[in-house]
Amino acid sequence: MSLVSGPGRAASSALPDEIQLAIEPHVKYIQSLDSRRNELEYWLTEHLRLSGLYWGLTALHLLGRPDALSRDETIEFILSCQNENGGFGAAPGHDAHLLSTLSAVQVLATVDALDELDERGKGDKEGGGKLAVGKYIANLQNRETGTFAGDEWGEEDTRFLYASLNALSLLLLLHLVNVNKAVDYVVSCANFDGGYGVSPGAESHSGQIFACLAALNIAGRIDLVNVDKLGRWLSERQVDGGGLNGRPEKLEDVCYSWWVASSLTMIGKLHWIDGGKLTEFILKCQDTKQGGIADRPGDMVDVFHTHFGIAGLSLLGYPGLEEVDAVYCMPKKVIERVLGPNK
Amino acid sequence: MAPKAPKAPKAQPKAPDPPEEYPTISAKLQAEYLASRPYQVLKDTKGLSNLSASEKAAYANYRFLETGVWKTWGAAQQKEFLKTVETQKIPTPLPLPRDLGRDNKGREIASYTPEGFAQFRKKERQLSGLRRESARFRERREKARRKQKGRGIEDSEGEIEDERNRRKFIGVLQGKKMGIYEGDPRWDDVVPIPQDDGEGALAAIAYSDEYAEAMGYLRAVMAAKEHSPRVLDLTEHIISMNAAHYTVWLYRASTLFALEYPIDKELSWVNEVALENQKNYQIWHHRQLLIDTLYPTISSDPTAIHALETSERDFMTQMFDQDAKNYHVWSYRQYLVRKLNLFNTTELQSIEVLLRSDVRNNSAWSHRFFVVFSDPAYCTPGSAATAHDPRIPADIADREIGFAKAATFEAPQNQSPWNYIRGVLRKAGRELASLEAFAEEFVKLPSESGEGEDVRSSHALDFLADVWAEKDETAKADTALRLLGDKYDRIRRNYWEWRRGLLDAGVEGKMKGLSVEDVS
Ligand SMILES: [Zn+2]
Repeated sequence: MSLVSGPGRAASSALPDEIQLAIEPHVKYIQSLDSRRNELEYWLTEHLRLSGLYWGLTALHLLGRPDALSRDETIEFILSCQNENGGFGAAPGHDAHLLSTLSAVQVLATVDALDELDERGKGDKEGGGKLAVGKYIANLQNRETGTFAGDEWGEEDTRFLYASLNALSLLLLLHLVNVNKAVDYVVSCANFDGGYGVSPGAESHSGQIFACLAALNIAGRIDLVNVDKLGRWLSERQVDGGGLNGRPEKLEDVCYSWWVASSLTMIGKLHWIDGGKLTEFILKCQDTKQGGIADRPGDMVDVFHTHFGIAGLSLLGYPGLEEVDAVYCMPKKVIERVLGPNK
Repeated sequence: MAPKAPKAPKAQPKAPDPPEEYPTISAKLQAEYLASRPYQVLKDTKGLSNLSASEKAAYANYRFLETGVWKTWGAAQQKEFLKTVETQKIPTPLPLPRDLGRDNKGREIASYTPEGFAQFRKKERQLSGLRRESARFRERREKARRKQKGRGIEDSEGEIEDERNRRKFIGVLQGKKMGIYEGDPRWDDVVPIPQDDGEGALAAIAYSDEYAEAMGYLRAVMAAKEHSPRVLDLTEHIISMNAAHYTVWLYRASTLFALEYPIDKELSWVNEVALENQKNYQIWHHRQLLIDTLYPTISSDPTAIHALETSERDFMTQMFDQDAKNYHVWSYRQYLVRKLNLFNTTELQSIEVLLRSDVRNNSAWSHRFFVVFSDPAYCTPGSAATAHDPRIPADIADREIGFAKAATFEAPQNQSPWNYIRGVLRKAGRELASLEAFAEEFVKLPSESGEGEDVRSSHALDFLADVWAEKDETAKADTALRLLGDKYDRIRRNYWEWRRGLLDAGVEGKMKGLSVEDVS
């Protein structure tokens, strides 16, 4: 999936009240992304290819168009990114990384093809191909602190911790890691302002908060969150234009709108912000003709913000969209199929 | 049929006069073709029946020549025939001009001018000479390499330089520049591995030859697990085109460590790259790996540590000049503070400089909290950022509250120092009410008749609402929260209404309120 931005650009001027989500153009936009191989940027964003597929595919599912990308080709591509160690790289021939491994698992779960791992996956398949992926992830846990590295080189980030718990839970393999230690680590990242950062002591950041909350949610330990204090900080992220920012005094952005809104959802406080105004902000970031959503009005569209914009609208109950799961950022239907209705 | 005895032809037929200049090489070749068949032309223009007997005889002999039939005759007859041809001055017919094809720009070579064609031919000859020479060079090197089992072949600088120029010249002559690595003799032993991406592979080459070529060589050296100085050049080149390529950084790091490359040299190179790639985060992990490697070698040398501290801080200042809220830089800074134990006044002062230029820089506030309240000199080890730490000295807490207070006067609507104040009170185990008078400097509630209202900071109003709730002054707290929801922060009306609901709930509300103990 191409991460190339454009060609469209979100409208910049005020839009009429009755502005709608441009579903068909968005579908076409996402479908067209992989045909842009002759552009340099397509290759410069190769390190995000697999995640790009997750973003595009999930957006299509939420738009109610799950068949807009070929299922067979999707599975083929995912499997072609797997390394011998069981993990997935961003594209064929790339080193395995936790983030692309999560995207691979999410995509396979979405198209109901996790079993393909057992049949055609790589890695040490004693016990099955899913287990091979699970073992790759489990090996990245720092058994002392409980957190996770993104790869064999040891970069640590609460996003990696979330990615691990997310993927392992979808594979039904959470028992491979020390979940309690992971929970302890997340708790140690809580800040004085109620938020969470990339590591203990690091500034609160909406994206990291999403990762920490979702990890606690998967671990069944959302009770460890100071909900009121965090909800207060999160709701302060809404700016007058209706969009949400990632940190105080930063510009609003569609992707942060997702991270903040989904976090508020996880702690049951989404109603603390003005959902109507947020909806309006996201809709203003669309290119209604050529499809795609940008980070803010007037900027170039890209698949990343298209995905998070649509997911945000789904969270806000925008009519006609499939319901999104706030923790997994995948269609709720898929999560229920994989984990059962009372996950 | 035997040819007649040769007779000197009476009238020599003439081919049409060649023009002085031909517009194209194909026109010239066509004219030469016709000029080599004068009797054919004569027959075609006059008609066979109008030819004289000798012309007819010459025409017949020309046909024998053209068709090659004469070669099937007996030796004596052939000899006789050739003699006749000579006396009749029948030229040897040239073959039909062949298709000259297209040049590398897709142009029909037939459309060249005769001079252009001559130059083209000359270039082709030069090219094949150079290619032969280049092939010999490669063969020689390959043999040497095999002898040395692939390691350290010696070549004179001059010889390599000659070959490099030769390839440049080949590139110029063929009108298509040779790739950087293809043109560099030092990379001859590497066979690049092209992108394996199914049907898109061809299109892949089209986007940027330079990037595609370099990636092809990277795949090849990675497959061979080569860690050599030239790999550093290659990865530097790729990073200059695409700093976000994760695998390239990892391979560079493993090469650096394998070569025991000087870390300080690498650090200063990384500085350049980071300054040019503000949003890149791979660089910061790379930097951490470098420091992790460097640190054990200098940890017992205070001067070296101090020098590193200074140079790192200088570099981060440069980064902050471009974006003082760069999350990667701040995360790295926390790492460095822990690693080099930088809980010191220099660190605090450098944060103050940043806050002086932008008091709304939340990242700087957050870092200050980290430095002050994680200092192993007086903090309880492992005390959470959200927890009361009884070991915090009162003067430190006072200092921090004073610092934040000053900032709120500078920008009352700046939420960072207000959050900071709450954080400090919590750490020091003090009540919010201890700062009631301070917060009231920003807020005058309206009188019962609704007059005299003056709110200079919604954060102060929020703070006071908590203070008053803490003190059970419910009516005042209610007024404050109502003002926030109705007037000063309408977008979060539901939140303020929820807070008001807590007031109504009384004791229960207090239990859930914002000022209660953190769960963690
Ligand atoms: Zn964004």
